[in-house]
Amino acid sequence: MRGLVDLYVQQLKTGVASMLQYRATLFIWLIGNILEPLIYLVVWSTVSGSSGGSIGGYAAKDFAAYYIVLMLVNQATFTWVMYEFDYRIREGTFSAILLHPVHPIHADIAENLSSKVVSLPIMVAAAAGLSVIFHPALKITLWMAAAFVPALVLAFLVRFLVEWTIALAAFWTTRVTAINQIHFMAVLFFSGQIAPLAVLPYPLRVVATILPFRWTIGFPVELLLGRLSPGQVLTGFAAQAAWLIVAMAILKFAWRASVKNYSAVGA
Amino acid sequence: MPFGHDFELGARNILQEPLQLGRGIVNCHTVAFRDDDLVAAVSALRDNELGRRRMEGQGQKRQHGRDSNCANILGMDETPAIRLRNLGKIYRVTEREPGIRAALASLVHRRKSEVRAVDGISFDLAPGEIVGFLGPNGAGKTTTLKMLSGLLHPTSGDLSVLSYVPWKRDKAFLRQITLVMGQRNQLVWDIPAADSFELNRAIYRIPAADYKRTLEELVALLDLQPLLGKPVRNLSLGERMKCEIAAALLHRPQVVFLDEPTIGLDVTMQRRIRAFIAEYNRRTGATVLLTSHYMADVEALCRRVVVIHHGKLLFDGELADLVKRFTAHKTIVVQLKDCAADLRAYGEVVSCEDGRLTLRVPKTETARVTERLLADLPVIDLTVADPPIEEVIEQVFAQESL
Amino acid sequence: MRFFKLLWVFVRVGVMGEMAYPANFLAHLLDSVLELGTALAGLAIIFAHTATLGGWRSDELVALVGVYFLVGGVIGLVIQPGMEQLTESVRDGTLDFTLTKPEDAQLLVSIWRVEIWKIIDVGLGFVVVAIAMARLGERVGLGQAAAFAAALLAGGVIVYSFWLILATTAFWLVRVENILVIFQSVYEAGRWPVSIYPGWLRFALTFLVPVAFAITVPAQALAGRLTWQVLLGAAAFAVALFTAARVFWRLGVRHYSGASS
Repeated sequence: MRGLVDLYVQQLKTGVASMLQYRATLFIWLIGNILEPLIYLVVWSTVSGSSGGSIGGYAAKDFAAYYIVLMLVNQATFTWVMYEFDYRIREGTFSAILLHPVHPIHADIAENLSSKVVSLPIMVAAAAGLSVIFHPALKITLWMAAAFVPALVLAFLVRFLVEWTIALAAFWTTRVTAINQIHFMAVLFFSGQIAPLAVLPYPLRVVATILPFRWTIGFPVELLLGRLSPGQVLTGFAAQAAWLIVAMAILKFAWRASVKNYSAVGA
Repeated sequence: MPFGHDFELGARNILQEPLQLGRGIVNCHTVAFRDDDLVAAVSALRDNELGRRRMEGQGQKRQHGRDSNCANILGMDETPAIRLRNLGKIYRVTEREPGIRAALASLVHRRKSEVRAVDGISFDLAPGEIVGFLGPNGAGKTTTLKMLSGLLHPTSGDLSVLSYVPWKRDKAFLRQITLVMGQRNQLVWDIPAADSFELNRAIYRIPAADYKRTLEELVALLDLQPLLGKPVRNLSLGERMKCEIAAALLHRPQVVFLDEPTIGLDVTMQRRIRAFIAEYNRRTGATVLLTSHYMADVEALCRRVVVIHHGKLLFDGELADLVKRFTAHKTIVVQLKDCAADLRAYGEVVSCEDGRLTLRVPKTETARVTERLLADLPVIDLTVADPPIEEVIEQVFAQESL
Repeated sequence: MRFFKLLWVFVRVGVMGEMAYPANFLAHLLDSVLELGTALAGLAIIFAHTATLGGWRSDELVALVGVYFLVGGVIGLVIQPGMEQLTESVRDGTLDFTLTKPEDAQLLVSIWRVEIWKIIDVGLGFVVVAIAMARLGERVGLGQAAAFAAALLAGGVIVYSFWLILATTAFWLVRVENILVIFQSVYEAGRWPVSIYPGWLRFALTFLVPVAFAITVPAQALAGRLTWQVLLGAAAFAVALFTAARVFWRLGVRHYSGASS
């Protein structure tokens, strides 16, 4: 365990240094990550304005609050592993990674965290700016903030494991774009990005509760905004924990199968 | 046509006395001409495509490579195809220490230094010459080549190629030159080479008949037939280079710039490409400027070499002269029964294996040492040779100036 | 005209390059259909709650999505691949080959890469526009169609000039591949009529990253909302930006050739 902590510390150090080198790339991703929730913020505020003030319990200011918090939560849980995997397999760099005595997921988590270290401060600044412009209705209590932290950590882990597992598809097919596309669609609709889940039509809401995506973004957002009853919060934590265990199991199995496949084909 | 008749006789005379010119028949065949009389005369001299093609020409003035002695005999005016006078190129480079502090400091005050890539070089190339451009890395060869092809603006001096100023990038100028770079491809990666050729045909506006003829010629000379249908990414390095060269010559340029064309290729392929360049020059009289690290390229193709180092011209003349001037030594290779004897007395022993002794002796000592070797030792065989050109060039580069 | 002849040659090269990978066509078709589905599903969710968005009816917004795909397709077909290749060529020096060709270098770098399967997006875009217009029950008169075509043309020129300016920065900056991604991130905002955004964002989307001219203005023409002033403004902006891009390009080439500044 100590070794693992050590590894993470080292990885974080080098990760932050290299992220600073890739400032330009990060910055450009940031533009996208700020713009997308902003667009939906404006769209839904406009819709609520023209439909009697509020929809599904969200008025314009509530939408503003929702999307600003979503922007931060999304950035905190954001990963790009599927692109990374596709690149690694195509370039053949995976062989070197497989020789490491540690499971490669740790390096990826560390790299991801180092990018957050660099990007989150900027996002927080952007969030502050947007708050000035859009006057979100934010009422955050202490215990909500306290509950938010574990929810966010669990959300990050669940999202990372799920996306890492899906990224393994790169071992099996070159047509990963289609898989990624479907995945993005699922995240867009069922995690609370395209609309708060309360606003979605009923059938989609049902699907959203079955899939893990809601617990990776929507749940922490709604929690922080105080839209969940204590009972719902506890259910949420349970769901996150359950998905974490499921994801870990599937990942272990998929990873072993993928490595076997990769080595058999000729690394 | 009295003039043509006289010329015919005159030209025949030249052909019958090649040795007098010291150049051989090859270059004297092709002759500069300016009117149809001469064309007819030339075609009477040799019944090859060359003359016929010229007669089919569309009245465009064309020049062949020719030997300067021929020109003098025929009283022709010789305008160089390429002329450099005091050409210079200075790069301004910003220097900066690593680190955040220095990065911020450089925003306020930029420290610039000058790099003299090319420092006042002058030479002429006559039409049809193949000239080797030698120099170590960073000597300024590629920079000069880029200035000649119009890619770089010179900082100082004069430059003209085919009477054009290259950096003005006249379309008419660009249609008559071509640039081949050894490490870089212009062929489109995913499609067969033949389709890349079509692309160049469209860009250079090559008339269909000319294109067909040139393509057939290049395919035959370079043995491209089996390669044409394969996507370029599936070709080996040597095959790709052949296609690159062909693509660059489809528009029959009069001036050909070759920047390390044989780099990275195996020996057989290098020979093939050398032979092709020589043949192409013979057939079309194109002026060729070739940079290379491989002495074999230069030895095989160029009688004249220009040596450049630190941006300055070190030598301009025949390769043989270069060797003569810059080497103070000769190599003596002696075949003995064995290497037992103490051979150091005769000169510097480069190697001795199985009785084959290689000695390096000062030029002035060659005769004396040879005499002694033949007298003292049971010599089976003996050869006196110039040191390998690589060695010569290395010595040239080691000198800072002439 | 010379331009069309050369464009045709490069289209042929693009088609031939893709024919080596026939399975790609279905994959790209799937991609495009999924993206279109996402956009339309998003619209459906929103119009479950309202009849208009910023004054736009649902079918007018469907037409806008159609234009989004149409213009996106054209960008992905010839503008984006060319500009990406340009930044790469500046970096690895193969631009030298282009500069020694007896043809205007800007013309060559603008059409030298054609990603032919993006024609799917263009086709889908047209289909969606046609369906939306049919549903709106409006007869597209000659005037309206002409305005649409003019708006598309102006938008196209504006987008092309913008991309060229971005790519030309490669002559000075070393690693600019990512700069082009800015457009793709911001283009997303064009799925919605630019009029719903707050003033500062509207300005950015009109003049900084010209998404409004690319999508909203032609869509306005379809919905009959386009005023001749806006159309004229688009045309004027197109001319101005094209000229600026040309000037900047020539500056870039001069810099690349080490001309004394």
